[in-house]
Amino acid sequence: MAEEEKKKRKKRRTATKAAASIGPMVKAAIGGTIKAKEEGKKIAYTFIVCLYDEILRAMDIVPVWTENYAGVCGAKRDAERFLERAESLGFSRSLCTYALCGLGFDQWREELGEMPPEAPWGGQARPDMMLSSGQILCDPRNKWYQAAQQFMPDVPIHNVDLPYPLYEDDIHFTDIQDYYIKHIIEELRGLVTFLEKQTGKKMDYDRLSGLVDLGEKTWNLIHETYELRRAVPTPMGTGDAMNTMVPMTFMLGTQEAYDFYVGLNKELKEKIARKEGVIENEKYRLLWGGGLPSWFALADFNYFNSKGAVFPAETTYRMVQPIYHMYMPETNDPIERLAWRWFGYWVYWYDKARKRPGSHPDVEWLIQYIEDYQIDGIVMHEAFSCRTWHLGLIWQLNQLAKIYKPIPVLVLGKDGRENKASRELPSLVLESDIIDITSYSEVDTRNRIDAFIETLESVKKGKTI
Amino acid sequence: MEYYAGVDIGSTMTKVVIMNKGIISSIIGPTGPEQRRLANKVMEKALNKADLAFESINYIVATGYGRINVPFADKQVTEITCHAKGVADFFPEAKTVIDIGGQDSKGIKIDNGRPIDFVMNDKCAAGSGRYLEITADALGIKIEDMGELALQSTNPALISNICTIFAEQEVVSKLAEGVPLRDLVAGVLESLANRVSRMVKRLNVEEAVVITGGVAKNAGLVKALSDKLGYHVSVPPEPLLTGAVGAALLGKDIVRKAIENGESPERKERSLKEIEIL
Ligand code: SF4
Repeated sequence: MAEEEKKKRKKRRTATKAAASIGPMVKAAIGGTIKAKEEGKKIAYTFIVCLYDEILRAMDIVPVWTENYAGVCGAKRDAERFLERAESLGFSRSLCTYALCGLGFDQWREELGEMPPEAPWGGQARPDMMLSSGQILCDPRNKWYQAAQQFMPDVPIHNVDLPYPLYEDDIHFTDIQDYYIKHIIEELRGLVTFLEKQTGKKMDYDRLSGLVDLGEKTWNLIHETYELRRAVPTPMGTGDAMNTMVPMTFMLGTQEAYDFYVGLNKELKEKIARKEGVIENEKYRLLWGGGLPSWFALADFNYFNSKGAVFPAETTYRMVQPIYHMYMPETNDPIERLAWRWFGYWVYWYDKARKRPGSHPDVEWLIQYIEDYQIDGIVMHEAFSCRTWHLGLIWQLNQLAKIYKPIPVLVLGKDGRENKASRELPSLVLESDIIDITSYSEVDTRNRIDAFIETLESVKKGKTI
Repeated sequence: MEYYAGVDIGSTMTKVVIMNKGIISSIIGPTGPEQRRLANKVMEKALNKADLAFESINYIVATGYGRINVPFADKQVTEITCHAKGVADFFPEAKTVIDIGGQDSKGIKIDNGRPIDFVMNDKCAAGSGRYLEITADALGIKIEDMGELALQSTNPALISNICTIFAEQEVVSKLAEGVPLRDLVAGVLESLANRVSRMVKRLNVEEAVVITGGVAKNAGLVKALSDKLGYHVSVPPEPLLTGAVGAALLGKDIVRKAIENGESPERKERSLKEIEIL
């Protein structure tokens, strides 16, 4: 990246100290994986939201989150050269750009026998194994590492199949849950066997139990901490949450992650006591209702702030739900507990959705947050290259508008009389990508944001009841 | 007498209106690189036409893509709000506005002249006026003639390519294959109507539906659009001017409100200078 541009781009302002501490933390973690490699520790490429974080920690395997490294390249506006490299290798530009970035990087590192020049934050360590966790819809989770194996034929791949039942309003998930749980448990046991073979070590199940305890405690703490953002003014927005997701997604099952949220919890409570919000004059409370962010354009959150808008909540990267609200049968087997936690997370909104005709778990999630966080409008981001998280976003907005109209208004009827009515929340869909900067136009994006703010303003004025 | 001006700098056309009770002067011209820099010149033309001095304008609102390049405007407002306001002036009962600009298209849900939701396509030329310009060019006809030609067709051709560039090639090869011109033009308009209506449908379209932007003068497109949406689509008398009219009317509202509150509206310094940067 041109030196001038590097200098020009100021550090993004965050509302919390906790969020500001994340950059150095990620940098240290990435540096840590390179050091671990030098020390001969086992390194595994893997994907976030994979369920087996604690298993890796219990086996002393160092995870390299390949999506994270691609995101770092994007945030540093230095992904283009890796994307181009992958494209020149014959991969289509319309594939997941995280995968493209990772493939471009890996091929380059393997060709050189060392990190590519000026690799962001020292580069991505060469793995000893690659764990692809096949999740519904995300094709890179199956295909990315298979493609990477072309450049690293000596690195084994182990695939962990982690399904969850898709929502059907006429089938209750309890009818099929035993089947799913059994399958997931088998998959996790298979993973343990694979890891034991790779490391030559046996799994210490007591240690794993302790880590699962810690993981569950962390889930509950994250939930409680994020719920503090319901306060008016909100002490933390989505811009910060795109940082504070790091310990949740990349460090689960570590004391460091738990301690981070203890600190964040304390900081938010102090800010609330001082009535200190993200911005001084909070006018509009928005919900980031879906879509991964453009990592290179996180400053857009500050732009929203400059217009009086804050994001007290987001569904993206809220990868936990309170364990105490889930069905968790009594068991001492940590593997079984992991399977139930996984299942409980995915079916969390299913019961609620069944109670509202035309609803869907994802829509129910939006409705809950709209109410809990006193939301005035919804913003989503359609990142063209990730189908997994972006498929159905527009459908969710359509459905929401059909079944849920939270804004009370007076409308002039044909008879000239004013009638009480209600209407849906305004929404904004941004279009770009997670790391492909060529898909982004700052002028167009900010023009849309300006128009959205004016719309919110006019809706507020028109809220006559 | 009070005068209000609206300056709408779109991606392809610049529009200026000066109003008191109604429009007393309006200018429509292309937004060349020059015009974008010289918003002052367009304003001067409008003032000359109305025989007014710059100082006599009570309030100026700039809108459109290039609104930041109007340094003499008292306020900048996005085209979403201005179109909503402008349309409601012609059609107070309007609930849905479709604006097809030179390089983008928008759908706006409105309530008493205020926007309550919107959708925008600024990513792809296929949903904009540019699509018609390019295909008209490829077919060797004038863009103004497209509407009438299309209305004569009973068998619109199917244009399967969504991308403007490929659609251009497709119409040329279809013409060579002997597909009648009127059917090709009707097919082009249908495919534009298709794209726009798909986007607008996200808003839960309600009557009355109004279309603005230069493309609204194309009767063939208006018909195709109303067929796709299943609603009558109304066209204001000067569809290109709605944004500028809305901007001027918003200025009027701002001044009235300030006076009601016993304040004087915040205004910029009145000077028609060139600006250095775009
Ligand atoms: S497709 Fe989406 S979910 Fe899958 S790896 Fe890429 S960004 Fe992640």
